[in-house]
Amino acid sequence: MTGLHDAPVPSRREFLALSGGALGLSSLGLGAAWAQNKVELDPAAITNTDHATDVLVIGGGMAGLFAAVKAHDAGASTMMISKGRLGSSGLTPFAKGFFVYDPKTETESIDAFVDTVSRSALGTNNPVYTRQLAEHSLDRAAELKDWGFFDQNLANRSFMKPVTDRDIPLIERVVVTHLIKEDGRIAGAAGFRLDGEETVTIRAKTVILCTGAGGFKPSGFPVCDLTHDGSIMAYQIGAKITGKEWNDGHSGRSVNPADCYNGWGDMFDRVPSTSGVEVHHDLGVDLNYQAYMKGNPVAGGPQVATDDPVAGGPVTPEEFVRSFPAREGGPRDEAGGGPGGPPPGGRPGGPPADGEGGAPGGPPMRGYAMGGASAGMAIHKSEGLVPIDDRCASNIPGLYAAGDALGSHMAGGIYTQIGSSLAGSAVQGAIAGEAAAEFAAGIKAPSIPDTKLAEVKEEILAPLKREAGYGPAWVTQTLQGVMIPNFVLYIKKEPMMRAALAYIEELRDHHMPMLRAANMHELRLVFETRNMILSAEMKLRASLMRTESRCSHYRLDYPEMDTENWQAWINIFKDAEGRMQLVKQPFAAWPRQT
Amino acid sequence: MTINSINGCIGCEECVKSCPCDVIRLDKETGKAVILYPADCQICHLCRMYCPVDAIEIRPEKSIPVVVSWG
Repeated sequence: MTGLHDAPVPSRREFLALSGGALGLSSLGLGAAWAQNKVELDPAAITNTDHATDVLVIGGGMAGLFAAVKAHDAGASTMMISKGRLGSSGLTPFAKGFFVYDPKTETESIDAFVDTVSRSALGTNNPVYTRQLAEHSLDRAAELKDWGFFDQNLANRSFMKPVTDRDIPLIERVVVTHLIKEDGRIAGAAGFRLDGEETVTIRAKTVILCTGAGGFKPSGFPVCDLTHDGSIMAYQIGAKITGKEWNDGHSGRSVNPADCYNGWGDMFDRVPSTSGVEVHHDLGVDLNYQAYMKGNPVAGGPQVATDDPVAGGPVTPEEFVRSFPAREGGPRDEAGGGPGGPPPGGRPGGPPADGEGGAPGGPPMRGYAMGGASAGMAIHKSEGLVPIDDRCASNIPGLYAAGDALGSHMAGGIYTQIGSSLAGSAVQGAIAGEAAAEFAAGIKAPSIPDTKLAEVKEEILAPLKREAGYGPAWVTQTLQGVMIPNFVLYIKKEPMMRAALAYIEELRDHHMPMLRAANMHELRLVFETRNMILSAEMKLRASLMRTESRCSHYRLDYPEMDTENWQAWINIFKDAEGRMQLVKQPFAAWPRQT
Repeated sequence: MTINSINGCIGCEECVKSCPCDVIRLDKETGKAVILYPADCQICHLCRMYCPVDAIEIRPEKSIPVVVSWG
């Protein structure tokens, strides 16, 4: 099965519908689209620092922490590099629930737990990774407890403890833009410092991507620094990517929708805690369906008995249907009115998503529910590099991924076990760290030709050298106008997705090569914009290909689950001509190696 | 306005480091934190929570228009 390049073009009406949105954005004073580049530094004066290590861990969240610690403890020289600060970037700072399977207290066996998750996930989970989560979560929680993770609301200090104790080199505020492959295996990575006029290259025997997932820099979910950086870099050098059709369905509130902090009640101030087995089927996108069919304010939320629910839409398996008490004040809350329900992630109004559930009793009143808080993000642990085994290895020798950068399908295409996201990152990080250290022990350091490094540096600095170009913020907002509306990636149907794809291809082919950057901050935005464009293309192509509805993927034109044709994940890769290709991989099977 | 003001900065750089979106930088001349890229603020308050002297004030409004799915 191949990609969708020969798809019919959208109708004129569909194009106009979309272009109207994009044209609207151009008048909102978001900064110049095309403009001269008033570069604030001398690109010719930018120097390079070169490093070498056995194991390079990219990313400083929960997965990265355990990957580095376990690789080091297994005897490998290990280095960490992160776009932000350890424990203070990505989604780690905001996830406060940590799932622990404790055999002493749980009444259900691990086998039964895995079976329950698999039933809720409608077969979309990889039971090997689901089991791994349960088997290792208690040990990881114990280590975190020793480091003080459960004693404070901010993670940096507790994360620094094991890293400092082991003297693991840590470079923060470096944007990694390229993975380097030589002789068919991983050889290193390259990027640039935000705070200095410097590129950074790292020669590494193995690389573990702990780069999280990402979104379209949406409003109301603290994911704006994550743009699928790891999976897009890996895709560029031949890695397979999966899970792009799933949707996180968190909603925000209509008053100050971008205000993440207040939108989550007291979540961000809370100290992390552990929780036991509790398997759900939390959709969130069923609220998108209600809003699509009836307009807003929507009545109630997921699985809530409402005054007049709309039939149809995303389906929750009967075993997992939950009922919540109706909101006080009725379902038609107005902005600033009575109790407005919980924050995104709370119930109703969005899926609880792994211990990210809202505060009981709801947040400050901020109007009615509003969709797309996490737009561009799939389901935790189910979007990212395709694992070829149970040790987080990708199809590129020496390249591993863990946590939200790995498409392990640990939970499946829907949120199942509460708190499993944070725990899953810890568990997978540790496994990837040990696997990478083992791989590195048996091989020589890679050799990267100087010409290759010069070529990569040139690619990194190109936006700074452009005399004029498109502003990354404007291109991002154009992408948001195309991709975030409810009728594109939530309530999916073929004509609109094809229309959106035409837009994204235009951004990919015409705008992406001409992005400008005046400083290192804008250079970061350029690469984040590139990653969002390619992720958008993946999401559209995967959503078009999956001609059924299941879990968080809902097709208005294919509303039923298709167990005859779709007991399969979708893997995305770049072919020899550089085109995006999509293939099926049957559930419960590892991918065939090519 | 997102992140609104920094008053009483002691130049420790905690906010610069803890901002996931690179909104704040240290002014090389004054040694104090400045809000350089407010359009990229995701209003998560990590900078405020890491600030040891409670110098940062944040407002709930985004400084640029936002795109939502429905609402």
